[in-house]
Amino acid sequence: MSQNDVPDTEAQTNAGGETRSDPDDSLVRTDVRATGSTGHGGSNETVVETRDLDVYYGDERAIDDVSMEIPEHQVTALIGPSGCGKSTFLRCVNRMNDLIDVARVEGTITLRGTDIYDSDVDPVALRRKVGMVFQKPNPFPKSIRDNVAYGLEVQGRDVTEDRIEESLRAAALWEEVKDQLDESGLALSGGQQQRLCIARAIAPDPEIVLMDEPTSALDPVAASKIEDLIDELVEDYTVVIVTHNMQQAARISDKTAVFLTGGELVEFDDTTTVFENPDDDRVEDYITGKFG
Amino acid sequence: MAVERDTADSGFGEVSRIKGIAFRYLSFGASVIGILALAALLVYVFVDAFDLANASPEWLLTYFLTLVAPFIGFCLYSAGDRELLGRTVLALGGGLLGTAVAFEAIELLVRPIPRLTWPVAYLFVVAVPVVGYVLFAGAQKPVGRTGFGLLGRPVGGAALGTAVAMLFIVFDMRLWFLVYTLGIFPAGLVRAYGGLRGAGRLAGLSVPIGVVGVVAAAFLRNVIRTYPTSPLIFAWTFGVPIAFAAATLVDSRGASRESAAAVGVVSLVAAGLGTTLGSSALPDGSTVLVLAATVAPTATYLHRTVESGEGLSGLALPVLLGGGALAGAAIVGAFGIPAPDPWLDPGFVTEAPSRNAVEAGLYPAIVGSVIIIAIVALLSFVLGVGAAVFLEEYTADTGIVGGITRIIQINIANLAAVPSVVYGLLGLGLFANLLGFGFGTAVTASLTLSLLILPITVISAQEAIRSVPNDLRQASYGMGATRWQTTKNVVLPEALPGILTGTILALGRAIGETAPLIMIGAATTVFSAPNDVWSRFSAMPMQIFAWSDFPQAEFRYGVVAAGVVTLLIVLLSMNATAIIIRNKMERGT
Repeated sequence: MSQNDVPDTEAQTNAGGETRSDPDDSLVRTDVRATGSTGHGGSNETVVETRDLDVYYGDERAIDDVSMEIPEHQVTALIGPSGCGKSTFLRCVNRMNDLIDVARVEGTITLRGTDIYDSDVDPVALRRKVGMVFQKPNPFPKSIRDNVAYGLEVQGRDVTEDRIEESLRAAALWEEVKDQLDESGLALSGGQQQRLCIARAIAPDPEIVLMDEPTSALDPVAASKIEDLIDELVEDYTVVIVTHNMQQAARISDKTAVFLTGGELVEFDDTTTVFENPDDDRVEDYITGKFG
Repeated sequence: MAVERDTADSGFGEVSRIKGIAFRYLSFGASVIGILALAALLVYVFVDAFDLANASPEWLLTYFLTLVAPFIGFCLYSAGDRELLGRTVLALGGGLLGTAVAFEAIELLVRPIPRLTWPVAYLFVVAVPVVGYVLFAGAQKPVGRTGFGLLGRPVGGAALGTAVAMLFIVFDMRLWFLVYTLGIFPAGLVRAYGGLRGAGRLAGLSVPIGVVGVVAAAFLRNVIRTYPTSPLIFAWTFGVPIAFAAATLVDSRGASRESAAAVGVVSLVAAGLGTTLGSSALPDGSTVLVLAATVAPTATYLHRTVESGEGLSGLALPVLLGGGALAGAAIVGAFGIPAPDPWLDPGFVTEAPSRNAVEAGLYPAIVGSVIIIAIVALLSFVLGVGAAVFLEEYTADTGIVGGITRIIQINIANLAAVPSVVYGLLGLGLFANLLGFGFGTAVTASLTLSLLILPITVISAQEAIRSVPNDLRQASYGMGATRWQTTKNVVLPEALPGILTGTILALGRAIGETAPLIMIGAATTVFSAPNDVWSRFSAMPMQIFAWSDFPQAEFRYGVVAAGVVTLLIVLLSMNATAIIIRNKMERGT
């Protein structure tokens, strides 16, 4: 039953382990320097702002007093050890946590100034503005075309071939699937499926795209394609990504938020600052793999 | 190392497997004991129904040579496996010897085996399993697949067409005509047009149009005085759409317009022929429906086979079987071989019960059963899926609501264990008495049986809905879909095959129920088929039960056996239809 399971947010992935097994922090730093700041333009205008956000699953606190501002047209990465509340935080932004009976949210999250937990905000309408890509590629068992069209269809908007092509192109998938739009989305490879999910998420043209470890179930080649894609998506969308892979966060994000166990936000700053010169010793320890 | 193999100690020590092996064979025994018991019963039922006890060895041999041997040959040819050929010959030959010896030995040493001769025993113990095995092997390959596919379509089409036609014995054909013309037809047109133009909103209009049409039809039924004749109604409401569907199907396979049109025309002409033919048992004009349902799938199948050219020689199978049967009959006639006189003959399924065993028929009971099952299928599916969707998708797990849900859950599970007699009492009290639907009417029976199988449908539908991966729900909600949209677009399509499986099993139970029917006062024997849902009816199990009580031995042995076989055939073909539909859906996703 859908409401039953607390989301398996922090599945152990190898991506996180990579850093752990290699405590030489110069690797991470080189990476950051190599790509530098990813330098996405962005107006630096805040899209999503949270203030004193607490989330409880029953009596258990998953997020502890988090306040942060997510800037427009930039990639914000959320990193941290398993069970630290990154995914929970992400799911608050489009109120997916509403689907879990025991989840309770306190504090405020605003999207362009509107409190999204206000009683007159319809979570369904909110989710139409905030798209989401999940950890495991989860295309519907429908044709590729129907997958991309799904968002438009449920929102009662007209489905045009142009829009489908545009979305698939934006997800860098068009060239690979343009001849098989009527075949099942499940026939694609894992990496293609995940790009299909991204195409599906952006087809209705949301403002924000939330990504919950979108590459953790993929091989490195497919993952790097998704990373390149995120780089392009941020031109049009605001991207918030949860990742276990610190190199990935360093490579693709403009801002990085580090959560630590107990759902505490210990550091939130420009990615370069977080990786090169973190304020908090715990963050340094985490990034360099001393724990986590 | 190999040299040392015969020494006991390999250096690894030994692991005892005796318990494991004993357990394995015990498990095997457990799994076949029920099947064997039922198989033994069915053998006797078949022997009685087809009067095989009186079949002379010559008669069996004739048909074995003209019908069974060519069929085995066809399957072996299709399988194209020399080894299989050897094994088949060995099994048939060795089985002949083995059966004969074992049979005589048992008769001599233990006790005489009642009502069986050794050729009949051979038929069931060796020939049927061997034929089943080679059929399975042959059906895997293109030639066999083509042959059985071609065989299955007319048979399935005819069965389905007949079943639908039977419904019109009871349901108002003119109302159906109006419903189709005013509701279904325009709605289908709008939907097809919307789909063609890619205008989703237009296609969405089809539902309201259909509903308005159906309501209008219900109102106009008694206003309109003149109606087309029933053959025309059948041709318009079934013949034309079936022919159109066949043509569309052929067209969608990328065939030329001409061949698509040809298939459509052939189906339509076949349906048209039905207007001139008649059938005593079925409603006037329903031959149109039966013919359309038979010819259209056969034509599309033939077209596809010829187009793909795969396993073309399989198309000879119907000719082979038909020719074999004719040849067998000719030989039996020419040589005056004494043939058995089966109880289960065409007369049995088209005539009314009689005091005289030879004339006794099951027709009214078949119609009764088909009508009840149709209503039960509809009701229990709608109610069952509705309840399951509510319990799985709409209720919370925690708090007071969660508690209430759990109580409902537990009680539904308990309902499944309530004896059917109790449901019979419920039907008697609620539907027959309180609501006044009448004692022993088809409505009362249908409602009672629907309630009886409702818990099973609900539980199995819940299982199916629960097994839909949560990822898909999350994806749908994440796209800004409402709960209803998620349920309709993602959960139900994915769960439907599982839901159907549960419903099929439950219907199988409903069709065989007798106790609740006795409780609501259903007749054991009626002499004419019910002509509306409010009339008294009898169902197959009731009629069989009644016959089993007759003093004459012909009834207790022959007629009852024929009834049981008919019941099983109806049940199995119903299940087969549902399974085929389900598999098609599974493949579709």
